[in-house]
Amino acid sequence: MRRTLSIAVIASLLGAVALWIHPSVAQQPPPSWKQGQPAELANSQLAPIAQPPAPKAPGEIPVDKIKVPAGFKVSLWASGINNARAMTWGDKGTLFVSSRVAGNVYAVVDKGSTREVKTIAKGLNQPNGVAFRNGTLYVAEIHRITKMEGIEDKLDSPPPMTVVYETLPKDAPHGWKYLAFGPDGKLYFNIGAPCNICIPPDTHANISRVNADGTGFEYWAHGVRNSVGFDWHPVSKELYFTTHGRDWLGEDVPSDRFDHAPKKGLHFGFPYCHQGDIPDPQFGAGRACGEFAPPLIKTGPHVAGNGVEFYTGSMFPAEYKNRAFLAQRGSWNRTQKIGFRIMMVTLRPADVPRYEPFAEGWLQGSEVWGRPVYTRQMKDGSLLISDDYAGAIYRVTYQR
Amino acid sequence: MLGCAEASDVEAGRRKAEVCAACHGPGGNAVIPGTPSLSGMPAFYTHWQLNMYRDGRRRDPQMTPFAEKLSDTDMADVSAYYAQQAAGPPRSSAAVDRARAEAGRPLAEQLHCTSCHGPTLMGQQAVPRLAGQDLAYLDKRLRGYQSRTTSDLDGQMTAIAQPLTEADIRALVHFMAGMTPRPAPAPGVPGAPGTSGAPGVPGAAGR
Repeated sequence: MRRTLSIAVIASLLGAVALWIHPSVAQQPPPSWKQGQPAELANSQLAPIAQPPAPKAPGEIPVDKIKVPAGFKVSLWASGINNARAMTWGDKGTLFVSSRVAGNVYAVVDKGSTREVKTIAKGLNQPNGVAFRNGTLYVAEIHRITKMEGIEDKLDSPPPMTVVYETLPKDAPHGWKYLAFGPDGKLYFNIGAPCNICIPPDTHANISRVNADGTGFEYWAHGVRNSVGFDWHPVSKELYFTTHGRDWLGEDVPSDRFDHAPKKGLHFGFPYCHQGDIPDPQFGAGRACGEFAPPLIKTGPHVAGNGVEFYTGSMFPAEYKNRAFLAQRGSWNRTQKIGFRIMMVTLRPADVPRYEPFAEGWLQGSEVWGRPVYTRQMKDGSLLISDDYAGAIYRVTYQR
Repeated sequence: MLGCAEASDVEAGRRKAEVCAACHGPGGNAVIPGTPSLSGMPAFYTHWQLNMYRDGRRRDPQMTPFAEKLSDTDMADVSAYYAQQAAGPPRSSAAVDRARAEAGRPLAEQLHCTSCHGPTLMGQQAVPRLAGQDLAYLDKRLRGYQSRTTSDLDGQMTAIAQPLTEADIRALVHFMAGMTPRPAPAPGVPGAPGTSGAPGVPGAAGR
């Protein structure tokens, strides 16, 4: 008995020593951006474009390279906004601007000929989503949605961020959120797939909504790999959104998507079917693309469509009314870069939508100097475009 | 496109970095255990870390007060200066345990460290150099990622550190600390001398 015990003790001690000395972790999945890369591309030099740590100085921003249709003009509206992303207006004319890895939320105060930029929150967990209603700013980080009440009167001493909703996954890949109020007064946001390509948990790869008080969470759209931009049509009040397609499937496939989700519960195909007609080589078996909602527009391979905004202003020519502006931040998973532009969509009854460029020039040859991420209409009908690479906001105006 | 998002002045950086040498060593080759060498560190990495000290995402009793006083230009200059300094021989070679270092080599493969840190772990863009880095510093940072108490720009390292055991961490840091810093071979030319930092590898990956 005693001898048996001693042997057991010695064995467990040896085990502990072995654990202490010998590495034990098994083969791990690659980082999410590299996941799904086929073996023959293992030495590919393609990788996401690194986010610069500081915004560009105004003199380093070649606004004149941005080309727009005749009659339109582009100017540099604000600069020095590190990693500037989504934009939303306060009731009193403050523009709130989000960022991702910079971790900041900014307030831009229009002083007529100049703009003053204040950092109203910092050190946050990729606070990509900002939405404003009834004097309150809502901020979506990866793991929570918070609010700042009465913020516009307290830009120099911002109120505390109080939690609205935090029953959210904490995964970093595709965890950052777009945030917007729908016509129903609910807050809509995305929960992206935590991977390049995988069978996501039931809690991921969707667009969801929650009441402004944090109650009533529900999924709106499923099978959405990563949508970080959406808007509702001004007339139909139906939801339209962009989606980033998976990487490493090829130079020209799959296309990113512009989608229409007029009702709750539709499935848009991820991870089984890409761009409506390409079954995933690994996960597509046993499923048919016909099971899923097809894209309204194939927006192009790897273009990285972010912002969606329907134009409702009166400055631009009449045909621009109700057109959607799509901001495409640009490709990394493609040897010939594509995107880095603002596209526009004209929805046409009983016909396919028209899809054409509106602003381009951030890509010069193979060199990128800026990346347009979101748009936001101004009260006068001009259009702001954020650029997270240059840390700037441009303004597009039109004069007959 | 690479490293030129902000204008930086290496000579100004050299002057501004004089005060840093007390801990980070001459030319950024540190001599105090637990303090990182900054020589040969990609400029985006150093700059992002200074950003995170300034905004509170990364905290250190010594570094925080320094970083809080720096402008974006100061950070760009200092980062550009250190990026140009040659990485010296492995900082902690005397302390490196060869058996642990050998155990760390396959582990680094299994964890895909080279995917972001580059083929010779010299770092790129916003991703740091690990080769020849101070042993105690590597150990502190890796444990920091595991316990979610150190800064992580995009969440990648936090996820990677979670499954690591005590033995894993020790093997990895001994392996990395023992590596002689050398530039990555040029793409497609095995073993050929090349410039580090040429291919775009993410620091802040994403869309």
